[in-house]
Amino acid sequence: MMNGLIQLLSSHGISHDFIIKASFYFIAALTLVFALLVVLSRHIFHAAVYLAVVLIGIAGVYLYLDAEFLAVVQVLIYVGAIVTLFIFTVMLTADTDAGTFGGTLRRISAGALVSLAIFFILVRVINMVTIWKTAVAGASVNLSQLGKSLMTQYALPFEVISLISLAAMIGAIVIGKAEKR
Amino acid sequence: MLSILDIIWVLVIGIIVLGFIAVSAMFLIWWERKVSAHIQSRYGPMRVGWHGVLQSVADAVKLLLKENIVPAGADKLVWWLAPFIVVVPSVMAFVVIPFGKNLIVKDLNVGALYLMALSSVCVIGIFMAGWGSNNKYSLIGGMRSAAQIISYEIPLILSMIIVSMQASSLSMQKIVAAQAGYWNILHPNMALAFIVYIISATAEVNRVPFDIPEAESELVAGFHTEYSGMKFAMFFIGEYTNLFIISAIAATLFFGGWQGPVLPGAVWFLIKTYGIVFVLMWVRWTFPRLRVDQLMGFAWKVLTPVSFFNLAVTGWLLLK
Repeated sequence: MMNGLIQLLSSHGISHDFIIKASFYFIAALTLVFALLVVLSRHIFHAAVYLAVVLIGIAGVYLYLDAEFLAVVQVLIYVGAIVTLFIFTVMLTADTDAGTFGGTLRRISAGALVSLAIFFILVRVINMVTIWKTAVAGASVNLSQLGKSLMTQYALPFEVISLISLAAMIGAIVIGKAEKR
Repeated sequence: MLSILDIIWVLVIGIIVLGFIAVSAMFLIWWERKVSAHIQSRYGPMRVGWHGVLQSVADAVKLLLKENIVPAGADKLVWWLAPFIVVVPSVMAFVVIPFGKNLIVKDLNVGALYLMALSSVCVIGIFMAGWGSNNKYSLIGGMRSAAQIISYEIPLILSMIIVSMQASSLSMQKIVAAQAGYWNILHPNMALAFIVYIISATAEVNRVPFDIPEAESELVAGFHTEYSGMKFAMFFIGEYTNLFIISAIAATLFFGGWQGPVLPGAVWFLIKTYGIVFVLMWVRWTFPRLRVDQLMGFAWKVLTPVSFFNLAVTGWLLLK
């Protein structure tokens, strides 16, 4: 995607490798800063907007792994659907005059407990991954290959995920209907 | 080897693209005013230039000179950033639009999907404008817009997927190439996809009959009520650029893109695109606005089932 720019700069004595690394670190740093802002922001609407920036930054990281498809899907699903839904919920529920949340001791302790639990779960999961090298090398994914492997090799997980999504959707409809009565 | 001349060349191309976007938007604004006027048996702008062609230029100069008023209770940063977040995805969409055989910035493998992703980013800008203005009309406008775009995105994406199934690619140039000699619109299932696409796309860019996010009679101007001067102009340019883009996508996906006899590809492409733009303007000035519940009901109860049915039929036709 950025070949033109890289060629342009590399002709002026700046190496190809350096540009890729420098731009990667810039995007990664930006993503991390905004990730921190999501957590630290007291303003719930601002936090949602920062989250959108973080998710776009992660899509940028996917581009460095030559995963164009994943990057675009990341923006489409996470920014386009999920953050939009978050903001929609914020607008429906939050008191629009006082957009900020105060931190009572109870909220802080509950939040700390949950985030610690998630942190340790993530650490365990990341330690379980053993194929670091092959994942980082990442050859560009052919779309038709991706589709075929979803229908053959990964058919069962794919169907299971579909079933879970369907269950969630039906659950949401049931809850929505019950509230109406 | 690349030299300083190449850098200037890249900059010149960039300026040409941005200039095209601005001129195209100004032309479309003038054209819309003329079309609406003639539909309503009026003349429209007549004073500045021949039949008012320079009216938009005069308006742009006026908007540039206007004071930029920031509402007192505004969420400053969010309010200030919103117009950019609406306009930037529209400009980015030009990367994958094929104006001719070689007239494309970059033919991405995932072109069609890239366009869908960009259209979904736009809504965050509208949200930010609605929230940041600290105005009840803006807030309601932003919320309505969000609900509308979430709903109409599904049939929009499904109808684009049907086309990429036919071409077995998401790349815009391959979709054009797959229509050599026989446009997609000539297949009955594609014609249905086109109807779904054009309805959903009209809703995505908030045009009449789906303009409840900025319904003048109830919401003043919706999410951009509090914007003035150049910030308002940016929303305006974004709106008309989006109109051009949805028409360009329709021309590419369903009407063979730049393909056509005798004339060069870019001319055919622009003829088809502006033809679709004209139809959308015609629709805008002939149909009344839908009510909120009708709008949502139409997306979920009519367009989405029709698209899913069409998707299944297209899959069956391709496997047959």
